[in-house]
Amino acid sequence: MWKILVMVCALGGSSFAYAAENNWANDLAPIGAQDWNAERAAHLLERAGFGGTPEDVQRLAAMSPDAVLKKLVDFQGADNNHLLPFDESGVHDPGLEAFPESRPATTTLAKQQGAALGVKVKPKGNRKMQPVVNKFFYWLRASRLETDRIAYWWANRMLTTERPLEEKMALFWHGHFANNEEKVRDYRKMQRQLALFQAKGTGNFRELLIGAAQDPAMLAFLDAGVNVKGAPNENFAREIMELFTMGVGNYSEKDIREAARAFTGWNYEGVEFKQITEKHDDGVKTVLGRSGAFDGVQTIDIILQQPVTAEFVAGKIYRYLVRQDLSDATKKQLAAVLRDNNYELAPLLKTIFLSKDFYSTPSMATRIKSPVELAVSTYKKLGLNEVPGVPDFNDATEALGQRLFRPPTVAGWAQGKSWITPGLLLERGNFARDMLFPNINFLPPDRYPDDETIRIVSAKIDQGVDITTATKPEGKGMGGGGEAMMSMSNAMVDRDEDFNTRYASFRGWQMATEKVKPISRRTAQIDLAGLVKTQKLATTTQVVDYLLARFLRIAADSADRTRLIEFLNGELGTDKVSEAETYLEEPLRLLLHLIMSLPEYQLG
Amino acid sequence: MKNDNFFGQRISRRSLLGAGLAGIGLNGGRILGVPLAFGQVAQAMAADEASKDRILVVVELSGGNDGLNTLVPYGNDAYYKHRPTLGIRPDKLLKIDDQFGWNSGMVGFEKLYKDGKLAVIHGCGYDQPSFSHFTSMAYLHTAAPNSGEEYGWIGRLGDVLKPTTTPNYIVNIDATQSLAVKSRVHVPVVFDEPERFTRKGSFQEKPQLDSVTQVADDPNPSRAFLREAAKSAVDASALVREAWARYRTPVDYGISSLSLPKVASLIDAGLPTRLYYTAFRNNAFDTHVQQPDLHARLLTYASDAIMGFMRDLERIGKADNVSILVFSEFGRRVPENANLGTDHGTANYMFMVGKHVKGGHYGKPVDLTKLDSGDNLIHTTDFRRAYATLTKGWMGYSDTAKLLKSEFEPFPIFA
Repeated sequence: MWKILVMVCALGGSSFAYAAENNWANDLAPIGAQDWNAERAAHLLERAGFGGTPEDVQRLAAMSPDAVLKKLVDFQGADNNHLLPFDESGVHDPGLEAFPESRPATTTLAKQQGAALGVKVKPKGNRKMQPVVNKFFYWLRASRLETDRIAYWWANRMLTTERPLEEKMALFWHGHFANNEEKVRDYRKMQRQLALFQAKGTGNFRELLIGAAQDPAMLAFLDAGVNVKGAPNENFAREIMELFTMGVGNYSEKDIREAARAFTGWNYEGVEFKQITEKHDDGVKTVLGRSGAFDGVQTIDIILQQPVTAEFVAGKIYRYLVRQDLSDATKKQLAAVLRDNNYELAPLLKTIFLSKDFYSTPSMATRIKSPVELAVSTYKKLGLNEVPGVPDFNDATEALGQRLFRPPTVAGWAQGKSWITPGLLLERGNFARDMLFPNINFLPPDRYPDDETIRIVSAKIDQGVDITTATKPEGKGMGGGGEAMMSMSNAMVDRDEDFNTRYASFRGWQMATEKVKPISRRTAQIDLAGLVKTQKLATTTQVVDYLLARFLRIAADSADRTRLIEFLNGELGTDKVSEAETYLEEPLRLLLHLIMSLPEYQLG
Repeated sequence: MKNDNFFGQRISRRSLLGAGLAGIGLNGGRILGVPLAFGQVAQAMAADEASKDRILVVVELSGGNDGLNTLVPYGNDAYYKHRPTLGIRPDKLLKIDDQFGWNSGMVGFEKLYKDGKLAVIHGCGYDQPSFSHFTSMAYLHTAAPNSGEEYGWIGRLGDVLKPTTTPNYIVNIDATQSLAVKSRVHVPVVFDEPERFTRKGSFQEKPQLDSVTQVADDPNPSRAFLREAAKSAVDASALVREAWARYRTPVDYGISSLSLPKVASLIDAGLPTRLYYTAFRNNAFDTHVQQPDLHARLLTYASDAIMGFMRDLERIGKADNVSILVFSEFGRRVPENANLGTDHGTANYMFMVGKHVKGGHYGKPVDLTKLDSGDNLIHTTDFRRAYATLTKGWMGYSDTAKLLKSEFEPFPIFA
């Protein structure tokens, strides 16, 4: 049934239906119940979530569009009790609170106070501050590894949630309010920020914006702490206007300076927002044409009253969910929906998902999946209920250009074509290969240091070599600018006899791997032979057509299809599945690798 | 397969085809709006032909390099007033005249300057400077300050030099594609590690993996784009891997090579690439704190790598074909900050290096006694003059106003 439907849709490319969809572009009027079908249900599931199996699609196709939207957008009733909370390793301790901004700041503090990070300086002897510096590096490593575990936990939620839009929008806001753990250096803040995006990501934009602006990760990331009365720092106010609400060109430099004054005194303590009254400038400011003794929230409200803010936010959401080109008229209509609903996001999302425009030809199967979406939707379409441990989810998506909790800049990830380069396109195929044929030389990156220096130091220390000799730079592996810089700063501090940075870096790794719980390294539990059997596919042609329909959102080229059938014939030595029943799995995996290497597989 | 023949045949066939189409596409009305007389067409084609062996390599120093501590205006008291701690004493500098001296780590640049192969363009910047790395770099990448432009200036340069899609015309060595190389016509070859620039797959999959179905007038623009990228990957990845695997050099590029040996390997292999783009990555030059040793080290890496690249080009007989542009998204605040560092600033030097570069000072030096209200330099040269210089003087494309959207006078660096 499913198969037939797909074939009909795929073949319908030049028919009347195609012409009608063409006219739907920029039409925000809702589609009718008679327009609803499996192809559109699959499209919606890709965009409002991370795709699904043919069975998932069928369930939606059998409902009315309104009922589907209610299920997907008003998801509060959906049962997510099977999702477990994040299983913390417990790597933090009170001594780490108010973590100093750098290693030098830590040792300076230790010199002044005789202790830092909850560790005392040794009264005498060699390397008196070594335990302090060890602890410093321990936390950097532990926070990073724990953040990688949160990323895994999140990816598993994306895969198994009954509320896919919740995670899809959380991913959007993570790219919008883009903070990087490398600077925040506290997994707890990243975890808290993610919880905000999940809780408010389809709720009210004003609440979300205030929540994000008062979020400790954000405040740490944008150095809000240095924005104080008498010495305002413009960075925070600039990003709020430029990246989070209005876009460049819709405010003046003076607006930024004045808004910065309104945000003075915003800070955090631990993982809580804190407003420090004596550092707040309560004088009169003039922001975007209005004057008053505004505070930060009042300033945000002024920003929200600007027509351009709703346009900027609605436009960005549209480009994330639908397509890159957005007409000015459509943008204004979407902004009106957002404004008329007091910045409630759900009505906007429903308008988009129900609109004819959303199902128009320019919108269908034209969106290039982000690396995280590619990985999650791949697992989802395979019917997996767990994100595999091999390949490592974070390393794999990073190689494709997107690592959770590490957006490249405060502007987040550029979408669309920016995801693809020739090199990255090859990597996408290689990701599929690594999943279908797990690398037997795989080393878990949460146990095995990717930094060669640390491995060398570890081996030498084990051999009884003294710390100075064991940590002497060997000049190996100094490939990129970053590594070279790090070794130079190491060389600078190694002269200080109070501690040895390289040893601390090694000890930090060691201590962190003791505490941070390991990520399960189970490979993908794939059973393509079983799938072929369940679907009662008898010929290689049926197998290829089934897999193409299951994994592609756009019909494959007929020449490609023919080649794939010939390939499978060659691998099986027959075109009859029954004859090859006992050795199906490997040929099917090769076939699937070829399908996932097609340009079409990148489109959702 | 014999690699030499393999490369050679590829190139000659493509360049023959490309040159003819380029001439017609370029001058057939698209650029000037009216068809040109035959003589003019021939002239333009001749210019294109004459410069067709010329290669531009752009080296980006990301993070905002502190120009004032790169080529230090030691003859200027104001410099030391603004930088009581960070100011580098004259006796520590590699002086090039009675006003300026290189940071002591830049022996390579000193030699290139003395040999007359390094041009310094002073005071490069733009009006209403942005202090955001992201925004300012985008302005430099697009040559469109304070406005939006979808394509990068290197990409657009590729489009006018070769208006038909040409494989391997633009190469960008980095983890992600730079906005600078984004092109309407060409698909830039973007890769990081040549060894990784490959498709994994079993032997029997290879014919499948290497074939990209091309569809004329694909109604789905995203699929058309992906197919182009796939085609480019197939065209380029084997060439790049083989070029890199065969390449051996005795030249020392220093500790951080800025991917320039990879560029040298591709030039040596005879790829038809005319535009290369590489970067000192990860905002490395963003020296807000503890700047002196760090900055000197970064400059040594950059200077060593570029000097090594020049030597390597001599070795492989391609020094006559290559010019290099070195730039950063902005300079740094003139007064030092309280953390032994410097904050985001404005105008900066641009450097051009090459055998055909006429070395020396170009443009008017910035005035250290007349800063703007934010203690920043007021630029003296629109940075697009440097782009115009390379476009016209080196790459042989004269309609710089079309490319850069306004007329910018080139410097006589390649005259």
